[in-house]
Amino acid sequence: MTEGSRNITRQKLSRRSVLAGFGAGASYLAMPWVARAQDEIIRIGFPTPLTGPFAAEARDQVKCAALAVKQFNDKGGINGRKVELLVRDDKLNGGEAATRTLELIEKDKVHAIVGALSSAVQLAVNEVTRARGIIYVSISQSDTINEVKDFSKYTFHEALNPHMTTAAVARHSFKKGNKVAHLVADYAYGHEMLRGFKRAQAQIGAETVGEILHPFGAADYSTFMPRLRSMRPGILCISNFGRDQANSIKQAVDFGMKQQMKIVVPVLLHNQRLAVGPDVYEGVVGGANYYWGLESGNPSAKAFNDAYRDGNRNAIPTDYGAYGYTGVSSLLLAMQAAGGTDTEKVITALEDLKYDVAKGPQQYRKCDHQSVQSVLVLESKKAASMKSEVDLFDIVANEPASTDLLRSCSELGFPA
Amino acid sequence: MSSPALAAPATASERKPSSVTAALAAYRVPLSILALCLLPWLLPSKALAVNVLVYGVVAVGYNLLFGYTGLLSFGHAAFFGAGAYITGIAIGQFGVPWLVAVFLGILGGGALAFIIGGLTTRTRGIYFSMVTLALAQLVYYVALQASSWTGGENGLRGFTVDKINLFGTTINFLDPINKYYVLMMFAALALWAVSRILNSPFGAAIEAIRENERRARTCGYDVEKTKLLAFTLSGLICALAGTMSALHLAFVPLDVLHYHTSGMIVMMTLLGGARSFFGPFVGALAFLLMEDVFSLWTSHWQIIVGSIFILFVLFLPRGLWGTFLEKAVR
Repeated sequence: MTEGSRNITRQKLSRRSVLAGFGAGASYLAMPWVARAQDEIIRIGFPTPLTGPFAAEARDQVKCAALAVKQFNDKGGINGRKVELLVRDDKLNGGEAATRTLELIEKDKVHAIVGALSSAVQLAVNEVTRARGIIYVSISQSDTINEVKDFSKYTFHEALNPHMTTAAVARHSFKKGNKVAHLVADYAYGHEMLRGFKRAQAQIGAETVGEILHPFGAADYSTFMPRLRSMRPGILCISNFGRDQANSIKQAVDFGMKQQMKIVVPVLLHNQRLAVGPDVYEGVVGGANYYWGLESGNPSAKAFNDAYRDGNRNAIPTDYGAYGYTGVSSLLLAMQAAGGTDTEKVITALEDLKYDVAKGPQQYRKCDHQSVQSVLVLESKKAASMKSEVDLFDIVANEPASTDLLRSCSELGFPA
Repeated sequence: MSSPALAAPATASERKPSSVTAALAAYRVPLSILALCLLPWLLPSKALAVNVLVYGVVAVGYNLLFGYTGLLSFGHAAFFGAGAYITGIAIGQFGVPWLVAVFLGILGGGALAFIIGGLTTRTRGIYFSMVTLALAQLVYYVALQASSWTGGENGLRGFTVDKINLFGTTINFLDPINKYYVLMMFAALALWAVSRILNSPFGAAIEAIRENERRARTCGYDVEKTKLLAFTLSGLICALAGTMSALHLAFVPLDVLHYHTSGMIVMMTLLGGARSFFGPFVGALAFLLMEDVFSLWTSHWQIIVGSIFILFVLFLPRGLWGTFLEKAVR
């Protein structure tokens, strides 16, 4: 009995030690390589809704983000370290985005996260990165993320926010004494845009004659149009996103609303205008973070467009795509300035960073980490005056980067 | 008590059970817990493993009603979501300790299930499905409108649990392994509870109702009360899963209350095999794993997952685990 058990023990021991020896040997061989690889590659997680209603915008974001990464890698990376972009489908769902972000942080050991394309989804990512001290550059419109309750020192908001977008659009499309009717998507995006417009109206002296909320993803707007018309507005302000924007404008045009009033939207969407055509959108005014036509007077837009054309069969970058480029570029520039990926150093570098990569000078405001940047006000062109298929908009105004467009730090709840 | 009929009732009543099935049935709880212990080391990521736990518990709870009582509910997202929201609100807005918040979540979800069950279990068939769907949508819109409590469209946030005290020790809850094993204890508890329910006379009663409601009534069972109790218990288990999800993600998206979630729960249960104890868990695992792996390969992952689901419904109606048990009998 004792003999037998000792035998077993000995056998076990010997097998184990062999295994251990193998393991040690293998790890010794692999170690320098593994360690170096982890040292060298800078990994950036990029959750974005590749499936779902915003898939077209998400694909543009990925292309532009990949372009930014490629440009840095072509120049030799950051201090010799290559950059890798890890794209994940967040399915436009907060829970899914939080899971993907956890995976990126825990399994893929990313150094930072850039991405998300919905107010709710970016807040989900923000919760995860905030708790774990991972830098996150958000590239989707939101006012909430600026407020002190959701603020995280690790989070930087590269996208425009509804407040600044509506302020710029209102400045160039509303006049004192205008009567404005609102058609608003009944969720965070619509509500924040409506709030922004009303605030701008109060300053300008334009009156609100009525507001109607419509459900997110509505296909039929025919019941709203007679009600909106009966309000007799001079301006119809439609605050919704994606396909909703195209559908609602199309139906407003079918009802002949354009003959009686001007249509204004907070964000004039490149892809929706392409999908629907010039006649429906003709004369519609709205804001944008980027339009490729900026290139005629802006060298950084020209450089960005050219680089994008090179890699994408002469296509031009879109508004939401540009967020992917500016977001990733700002992060990589800060990493370059910080000399690596040390979180605290990169945060300081981002706060101090002045960058101009696609649309003119930009800078993150210290208190809320909102990117202070120019806002374009665009008007959709007539079919007859379009010079090419992608010549969609006239630039009505290029509101320069200024904190005047933003809510003040104290209003957001930050200590003065 | 530990009859294999409960593991695969339909097959077992037709054929003599083999020793494998009998063993699987007799030790189903310890065996399932053993499987859960190994799970995080077998899956591509820990976050996915926790999701499997959460949705596994939902599907097992749902199966109590669907597979065993024979009621097809399209509203279980409501209880799942209620559990998640109540836990999140309790921690974030009232500073309740996490364990108390979990209990509040379970109780709240259970109470909601009792109310919705009271309103729906007297209807049958497609009407039952439609009424549960309608009431769950009602819960969705309440959560959307009550945004000062729930965060509305933006989702509920601000209740990250980073450290927990358990049995006198402080555990770093942000660590994925710790999180998994803490939440696994809840999942194990749920599995044990469901197994215990199914082994009880009550478990036999709900199966009797599924097989033949009129006969069950003639035998003297109070069918309405039994259905209501099954509905409430199922809701309690789903609410528990909701609280686990809230603790896991530290975020409750409004989408948890959407009817897509209810549909996904049905899909997971069917994929794994309704009418088997562990089947729904296997279904949740298969569903989430496919989603995770294929969405890394291609943005057209929905086509692949959808096709696989159709193939299963067509050729393996007993689901993954149900088919496995059937083969094991032979």
